[in-house]
Amino acid sequence: MKNKRIYLCDNSIDGIFTAIYLAWSSRYGHSNIKIEEKYEGSKFANIELFAEYIVVDTDYNLSKKVADSIKKKISEEAYEMVCRVALSYYEGKADLIYRFLILAFAVGPTITERLSNEIVNRMFRLDRNVGREAHHLLGFIRFSQHADGLLISVIRPKNDVLTLVTPHFADRLSQEKFIIYDENRKLASIHIPGRQWILAQLPKLEQEKLDEIWGIDDEYSNLWKIFFKSIAIKERTNPKLQRNNLPLRYRSYMTEFKI
Amino acid sequence: MVILETMSLQRKLEILSDAAKYDVACTSSGVDRKGNSLGMGNSVACGICHTFSADGRCISLLKVLYTNECIFDCKYCANRASNDIVRASFTPEELSELTMEFYRRNYIEGLFLSSGILISPNHTMELIIETVRRLRQLHHFNGYIHCKAIPGADPALIELLGWYTDRMSINLELPTAESLKQLAPHKNRKNILKPIRQVQIGKKLFTDYKGVTPYSDRPVMQAVNVLTDTAGLPDLTGMTDSVGMAISNGISDGRPEPIAASVNDNSYKDNDIKDIIRTGSSLAPYHNRPATKRSFVPAGQSTQMIVGATDESDYQIMAVAEALYRNFDLKRVFYSAFMNVNQDPRLPSTEDGPPLLREHRLYQADWLIRFYGFTINELLDERRQNFNLLLDPKCDWALSHLDRFPVEINRADYHTLLRVPGIGTISAQRIITARKSAALDFEDLKRLGVVLKRAVYFITCKGRMMYPVKLDEDFISRQLLAVKERLPFGIEKDLTYKQLSIFDDANFKLANHDLVGGFLITGS
Repeated sequence: MKNKRIYLCDNSIDGIFTAIYLAWSSRYGHSNIKIEEKYEGSKFANIELFAEYIVVDTDYNLSKKVADSIKKKISEEAYEMVCRVALSYYEGKADLIYRFLILAFAVGPTITERLSNEIVNRMFRLDRNVGREAHHLLGFIRFSQHADGLLISVIRPKNDVLTLVTPHFADRLSQEKFIIYDENRKLASIHIPGRQWILAQLPKLEQEKLDEIWGIDDEYSNLWKIFFKSIAIKERTNPKLQRNNLPLRYRSYMTEFKI
Repeated sequence: MVILETMSLQRKLEILSDAAKYDVACTSSGVDRKGNSLGMGNSVACGICHTFSADGRCISLLKVLYTNECIFDCKYCANRASNDIVRASFTPEELSELTMEFYRRNYIEGLFLSSGILISPNHTMELIIETVRRLRQLHHFNGYIHCKAIPGADPALIELLGWYTDRMSINLELPTAESLKQLAPHKNRKNILKPIRQVQIGKKLFTDYKGVTPYSDRPVMQAVNVLTDTAGLPDLTGMTDSVGMAISNGISDGRPEPIAASVNDNSYKDNDIKDIIRTGSSLAPYHNRPATKRSFVPAGQSTQMIVGATDESDYQIMAVAEALYRNFDLKRVFYSAFMNVNQDPRLPSTEDGPPLLREHRLYQADWLIRFYGFTINELLDERRQNFNLLLDPKCDWALSHLDRFPVEINRADYHTLLRVPGIGTISAQRIITARKSAALDFEDLKRLGVVLKRAVYFITCKGRMMYPVKLDEDFISRQLLAVKERLPFGIEKDLTYKQLSIFDDANFKLANHDLVGGFLITGS
């Protein structure tokens, strides 16, 4: 029996695709291979005995080859699905994507219809989870206004959805300067009118600094709180329904829930 | 009456949002529109909820009244002329700026503007139009706007408003002309239906008009012009013959006909609706299209009815709703559980809370009509006028049509699947997709997210039922009652209180607390 080979890659679409390319072309046998994405803090914590670890450096050329062949040989839909799943917080997504692609290259474009297959089903559910969180944030993101009209928002999403939500705001607020900061990943998207928006890795910000950034009160944030309170029908008060629709984890950076 | 000369914007917002809170619709759906380089805003067809208020309802739009001053005295309304309350009005400047600043901060998807009637319907409409004109033309606001049209306003103003808004709604308020007369003496049902018809026709005529060809050059407009030249501008009584036909023929375009064709129009004894459909008077286009590159009411129109203020049955209410969907192309009919906000002794008391469960059943039936291919006559009829409060309308229907079950998951077509209790549009679509590649079993259904606790009595997979089940009405209804229905939170308690009451009576008072016990639920 061969030793298990574990490819350890960056937690990004390109990292995962690079590992998939290397694993596939090694011809070591799919069942002897596992792909793991790296997480901050949990590095090598679950290291397996008798396994050969290979650390993968992200290579954008290889990653692009994988992306192109998914689009060409499977479908655009499958490609988008894989990309969204790669943004998921689910640990083990790299290996799941690998297994999915093995299946998908064999089956072809109809793979996304095979919902009763366990791997496809898992992909489908993660895809939906990422999509839902991104959709929620389109509504739940709050900007506060700073000097010079700069808008800043702080979010704390489970999944890495910054790249999914920013295009919506770049389109909607095309004439505004804005920054959306993902506190969990210390990642920010920055938009300046007339230019393509960019992603930037930021140093860790202290809580005080964060509060200062997002929680600025002005006339309109106060008006919004007033509106939020008076629009509710007292006789129908229903905190359970409210919590079901708007889970508590979103509320920490929402103006109307700030005391 | 308290009249304050100067009032802060805060106070105004407090009063005018409080006054608007009973309006049900707060959806921002129906249009997909990209942002532009000039202004601010875009629109997403599926709609976006921005937050949820303490009652659990979605807040998507800045929902306010323009003013709560009102010359009308509708008995159910908190803003009626005879109430002694603080009155306030925005100015178009204030309201348009407020909307823009809220929108920039991503608090809202847009504006939902309704209003009391200040001085006259026309005067109020002009103020509303000025507000949205400022938004669209001064601030280049490209987000979502939903406006109430004021019944009785000049049709030219209705049309003008339609060019600035995404969705327009005119509230039917009450299901029948008699109850409207009784509770809203200043309103007139035909005056409500007429603008609905006007927007419908306008939408058809101006459809996909994007500001490229002057619309008087368009073939359908020439037909209208010929008609209006001979018949006089506002009067379009001859319209039903030529253009009207074109309209009604074309109306089903663009979206699947959700309603089975088997209903004949004679089943509705609603003469108002018939009259309005027949005549087209005052429905002509008025050529006052503003210089915006926008289409006419792109997200369509909706309406709203109060439930429980008058003694119409569920059957009557749903028959009106169905007639509205069929004849006026409404996107939505909203149902609003009556609340006796004025503590008016002439109206039913709502001390025990508004009839939320009844409202819920009406929405369920509304869904069945719009998306599941049901007609109201399948669900209720002259003898059975109200929904079963213990079982949802689809379960109830299935129980009385057991001869059509069980259905085979791997073979039944989409519409048959939709009629299975527990299977909704999403589940049905997934089943159809997934069974292309493999015959499905109960385990597969679970994996697809199909909830089996209700469906299990009505389906087979590969010819087998999950458990041996006797297709017997009493047996299955006992089982179904034992399955706890997932009601919107807060309604459950109503149900337990009501278990002992007679099934079909929607108007009974809540039973006393000591009656909780539910001997009806014997199974499980």
